[in-house]
Amino acid sequence: MNNLDPHSFTLVITGAPYSTQAPQTALSFAKAAIAAGHAIDRVFLYGDGIHLASALVTPPSDEPHWPKNWATFLEEHEVPGVACIASALRRGLVDDKEQKRYELDASNLRAPFTIAGLGEWVEGNIKSSRTLYFHGDR
Amino acid sequence: MAMLIIIDQPPYGGWTGREALDMAFSLAAFDQPVSLLFIGAGVNWLRTGQNTSGIEQKSVEKNLAAAPVFGIEDILADRISCERYGIAPPELADSVVLTDANAELLAQYSQAAFAG
Repeated sequence: MNNLDPHSFTLVITGAPYSTQAPQTALSFAKAAIAAGHAIDRVFLYGDGIHLASALVTPPSDEPHWPKNWATFLEEHEVPGVACIASALRRGLVDDKEQKRYELDASNLRAPFTIAGLGEWVEGNIKSSRTLYFHGDR
Repeated sequence: MAMLIIIDQPPYGGWTGREALDMAFSLAAFDQPVSLLFIGAGVNWLRTGQNTSGIEQKSVEKNLAAAPVFGIEDILADRISCERYGIAPPELADSVVLTDANAELLAQYSQAAFAG
């Protein structure tokens, strides 16, 4: 396979927005990859990366809104964005289903993100030609 | 070729190592070949006789003991890191294999990943 062959990527983001640059760097990569003719299969949020899928993130109006920017990108390019359920529940990110299951006061998952298991990462890892990790502080 | 999950974080004080272990278990659950490499402060995972009663956390020793049962192929420990942290082989769990984490080792795996 040479460099000109189109790739399909699974992106794994483990750094939280506003604590790390991981979501920003990943979004820049995703846009550049698509512009160059590659495909993004899915984006998997793991560990602190799940905060990117929160509907409650509210940065000052003169700062980039990374959850919103990512959501817009995912919708435009019909890329599935999945937050790891174990990472999400521990950190207080829930969808309607988990809200009901755990009898919580609210849900806070931003569309079009969904919540699912690590199997989504495993599947992406098998299907995509490359899996890239965007970590926080290493 | 197997995937190598690398744990370079200590077992307590952060959640990254635990999430790396979950990644390895998940691969094994889906019948994907996977091995674990402990390196740097991560070798502290491998100490036997860990007592976590003072920090209200589960001991990672039990989690790790389940790794071969769940189908994780090899549990590797970087030799130099073990020396640096003063962990001698008798202190390592039985299933652990000492190795040198170098390019030659990494070349035996399809990919390597950290949890964060």
